[in-house]
Amino acid sequence: MEFRPRNYTDERESHALPRLRADAHPLSATPSPPLPQGDVVESGNSDFFDPLRGTDNEAKVESPDPDNLSNAVDHHPTKEWTSFRRLLMQRFPVTKMVSMSSMPDFLMRSAKSHEKSSTIMHLEELDDPQKFADEGVKVITWQEYVSRLHELKDEINRSWLAEDRVTSLKLSIKAAKLLMDTSVSEFYPTLFVLVTDIMDMLGELVWQRIKRKAEFTEDGALLCNLAENFKASDICSDAKETCNNWFNKIGVVQELLPRIYLELAISPCWRFLLDQPEDSLWRLVMMIRGLGDPVASAYCRLYMAHCAQKLISHDIGYLITCMNDIRVILMKILSANESTHGNVKHNKKLQVSLMEPTIEYIMKYIFNGLSQGQVSEVLAELGLMKNQQDFGSVSCVSVVLHHLLKELPIEIVSSNALQMLHLIEFSKDYSFDQHMNYRLLGFRLNERKTSVDLVNAVLDKIIQVVAQYDSLDEYLKVVDAYADLILQNHLGDLLNTILEGISQRARNKGVTEAEMPSLQSLLGKILSHFKCLEDVLCLNYFPEILDLMFGSSQDAVFLHILNLATRNDHIRDPLCIQLLFEISRTLHDNIEAKNVKDGDSQVAHSISRFVHMVDYGAEMEHQLAFLVDCRGAFGRFNELKETLVHSSNSLAIQALKCAKKHLSLVKACITFSEITIPSISAQRKQFDLFLETAEVAFLVGLVSHSDGLIDSAVGCLQTLNITDGLQTPAEVEGLVSSIRKLCGFLVMVPGNLSKAGTHFPNNLFSLISSHSWFEPKMKTQIFSSILLLLTSLAQKSLPYHVDTQIPGNDLLFCGDSSYKQELVSLTKLVLENLLCAIQQEPSRAARGAMALEACNCIVSSFMVNDELLSVCLNLIETAKSGLSDQDKYLRSTIELVKKKSQTPSTATVSVSV
Amino acid sequence: MSIDLKLSRFNRIYRPSEALEGKIIIKTQSSISHYGIRLTFKGSVNMQVRGGSAGVVESLYGVIKPIPILNRTIEVKPSGKIASGTTEIPFSVTLRQKGENLEKFYETFHGANISIQYLVTVDVTRGYLHKSLSTTMEFIVESDKADLLQRPIPPEMVIFYITQDTQRHSLLPELKSGGFRVMGKISSQCSLAGPISGELTVETSAVPIHSIDIQLFRVESILLGEKIATETSLIQTTQATDGDVCHNLTIPIYVILPRLLTCPTTFAGPFSIEFKVAIVISFQSDLSQLHKKTDSGTPKLWLAMETLPLELVRTK
Repeated sequence: MEFRPRNYTDERESHALPRLRADAHPLSATPSPPLPQGDVVESGNSDFFDPLRGTDNEAKVESPDPDNLSNAVDHHPTKEWTSFRRLLMQRFPVTKMVSMSSMPDFLMRSAKSHEKSSTIMHLEELDDPQKFADEGVKVITWQEYVSRLHELKDEINRSWLAEDRVTSLKLSIKAAKLLMDTSVSEFYPTLFVLVTDIMDMLGELVWQRIKRKAEFTEDGALLCNLAENFKASDICSDAKETCNNWFNKIGVVQELLPRIYLELAISPCWRFLLDQPEDSLWRLVMMIRGLGDPVASAYCRLYMAHCAQKLISHDIGYLITCMNDIRVILMKILSANESTHGNVKHNKKLQVSLMEPTIEYIMKYIFNGLSQGQVSEVLAELGLMKNQQDFGSVSCVSVVLHHLLKELPIEIVSSNALQMLHLIEFSKDYSFDQHMNYRLLGFRLNERKTSVDLVNAVLDKIIQVVAQYDSLDEYLKVVDAYADLILQNHLGDLLNTILEGISQRARNKGVTEAEMPSLQSLLGKILSHFKCLEDVLCLNYFPEILDLMFGSSQDAVFLHILNLATRNDHIRDPLCIQLLFEISRTLHDNIEAKNVKDGDSQVAHSISRFVHMVDYGAEMEHQLAFLVDCRGAFGRFNELKETLVHSSNSLAIQALKCAKKHLSLVKACITFSEITIPSISAQRKQFDLFLETAEVAFLVGLVSHSDGLIDSAVGCLQTLNITDGLQTPAEVEGLVSSIRKLCGFLVMVPGNLSKAGTHFPNNLFSLISSHSWFEPKMKTQIFSSILLLLTSLAQKSLPYHVDTQIPGNDLLFCGDSSYKQELVSLTKLVLENLLCAIQQEPSRAARGAMALEACNCIVSSFMVNDELLSVCLNLIETAKSGLSDQDKYLRSTIELVKKKSQTPSTATVSVSV
Repeated sequence: MSIDLKLSRFNRIYRPSEALEGKIIIKTQSSISHYGIRLTFKGSVNMQVRGGSAGVVESLYGVIKPIPILNRTIEVKPSGKIASGTTEIPFSVTLRQKGENLEKFYETFHGANISIQYLVTVDVTRGYLHKSLSTTMEFIVESDKADLLQRPIPPEMVIFYITQDTQRHSLLPELKSGGFRVMGKISSQCSLAGPISGELTVETSAVPIHSIDIQLFRVESILLGEKIATETSLIQTTQATDGDVCHNLTIPIYVILPRLLTCPTTFAGPFSIEFKVAIVISFQSDLSQLHKKTDSGTPKLWLAMETLPLELVRTK
């Protein structure tokens, strides 16, 4: 067996690809001409479903319940309405009051009597009056209530289909009457949704019936097809008569509230009688004023806003009147309260909170798609504008103001910002927290660039306002909203003022958990604004405020700071490093305290990045000391330890480049690495890091260190086992490639007198062959690499050397026959095992590919003699049995074998092909 | 074998000068012979006086002799045979015949003591051996357009004030002392086709208001010899406000008049039909809960009201 002599220099030249000069770097960001993509995206917007608009999305999925599907043909409930209804039910969740039996005794009794007087009565009436009389008070769960309403709806539908429309109407009136009782408080919105669902269904049924009467005769013959915008004159008198009858039947309902709900339900039918149904709408607006209960009347207005959309006209005047009426009612609630005590106040607050969604919805409809001119008109109508130019000289109910602010077009908000402030100032009541309105205004002003003068004026005012606040929470909520304005306009003084304000209030009263989110948001904005950490740290009070943080908000802010600091290339400032180190330690310890299993990978990553960025420049001892500190502080993060090893290795190289005098430092670095690596839990990582450190040690001439490190690396393989994160093919391949890298490195590493020249290859081989869990494929690849390594070592001159005075094996063992003998005998052993490994592979195709790899390796390593040729031919046969004849690898391998075997037996090869 | 009457109009409303059109539908399995098919149109004012408003003596009279308005019989078909299957016999009869009418065509009205009703009956006489076929249907008469006032009725409104001082019955002490004032206006003359309209405003009220209702009454008077027996009864209650409404907000009054139960205000010799409307304010009071079931005759302590005459007219 004879190693094939190689001339690496010649081979490199003959095999090198021709090089061509490129005009541009393939990875450089060339400014490509801007594609007209923006327009495309814009136009496609209507179809595109933004996944972030989760509510709409879900609503779409959920919306059509079976009843709606079967009945709603003309008037589908709008998507907004459907999602609004769902949100409404979520806002006042009913689940917590599902069962009354879970209440304590004294509450139980009061709840019972309460129930008896209101909801139960209605329901029992619906159900069976007799039963009610017999059984006395019965506690009902909300679920039962809901399911009974569903049953009621079904029954209405059933009676209708059975031509018993009078029963349908009677039951619908009963359903509508349920809404008269607002004592159910939190359940009222759900009740509203359920009852209006029934109302909508009835309205749709009546509409379809009259439309049918208008379009067909009694015998079913077609009279006419009604156009979308038909006129009352198109309707035949019979249909009109029927329609009138419906309005008359509903008109005689004694109670006001069900009468209004039912008329609203069938309000689209006005069109059969009148060309301008707006008058009727106005009448209903006025009639709703007759509802004394604030919650009932607000929800009735809400239903009107919903129903009126089915009318063709788009007048919003009635909505404005509604809003004004709601405001009057709110003012009555709010003023009546002043003399009363806590419990009543609580009830009134509940009332206001129940009314809020109706305000929100109606306000949204008022401002939906208004022009600027119309907006001022609306504002005037709402009584917020004394004349066209000036508004804000009056006060408003704060909850109304809040939703107004939310819906106003941004142009109006920004051009009237001062008036808005004024309005907020004079609208202070408990229906909505005043500071939240200030906050909202701040957020609105961020939506659009506002002129500097205006910003200054607004901020002046805001600073005055918040200066009055005692509560840190309110202070933070407001300044947080304005932080972006302050930062964007570079108003450093104001920033200092608010930071001072925060620290003062925190000193007085301390910081509670509730204030953390606002503080976090504010600090986040400040941090995002500045480009480098030093500027932030220069801010007065900033460090002090930072100290106030705790809990998860603290973690978030600290992480933010870390990310900010590592955004640039280097971190050199010792103070900065110190601060970041402390921050990182806190983050690390917090994770430990929380005892999260994997820790927080983001935190680990950020800290690693920070460690990586730290640069003490020439003071390399400090840098190493820093690394040592880090190792002590962040023991939890494996990723970080890797970084530490990388950093210390690169520090070693850096020191080496500097001058000789740093040799002790270099040694220290390598020792640091050597000590650090075993504490990393993943053996796989250890292997790579040992190898890297060995290379560094070798490079700086510390051969014995290097030898030790290589032994450690190989030792890692010993303890490595298949369960240690080698499940995926990529991981397996990674390991194989690391081992190959080791083989490549070993070419340079010299043997010495105490150890045989083939010490490392031998160790590696015996380790791999003795471990059964190395799969045949891995073994094949590794053994091939070892073969190639041995071949290289057998050359007269090694393919590469390290740039030091360390001699390679070619010099050390030049012409040493025992060394050669060692190589040959090891080679034989490896070859044997290689062939063995190939046969162990169960999959034919894989075995084929492995055979080809081995074959290539053999042919390029050795002079081909008969013995080897037969081996090669066997391998090719194996490959053929697993691969197709057309396989390119197979064909090129056959070519290579042909070429390299200069013996006469070439013919056999060609024959066998 | 069945017989049915079907009128041309879905709502069965006809005016005296118009032709009452329709068809007689006879369904039979075998052919039958008959002695003639006749239609009878009858209209009358029926009156009765019950105890209470009339004296004891008068109540003994019981039912007063009705006043006939219309009584006409027409032979649609002379005697003959009706084939098996469904037979439809159309008819068209003008109600008002010159010189034949007994009385003015009052509009249909169903009251407590007075009822004005028009009926059409079809009879198929079949001799003594067979039961005669017969069915009756009510139709509704409204005044002739020609008889209506030419002028459009002006929307006549009366203004009302209701305070603790306008009440003639005793009130709860807190109402009397605290005071209240509800004002507004309401139609005093009103078309039967339209609603009773108006508005009201609660200006002040020391006691929270429970509800404000608009009650519609009919006043039926019958001449009994020398005396007039008058009875007022409630037709319909319509809630205008529910609960303690905001003060100084204008709230509409809008009451749809029930058909058949109303007719134009009528003053005939032997009887008269008039209407009244009452605005009834009920205040929140524990007493009202206790007395829920008692009769509505006497004015309650927690109620305040104003009753106004209402003239109903038929307009074009």
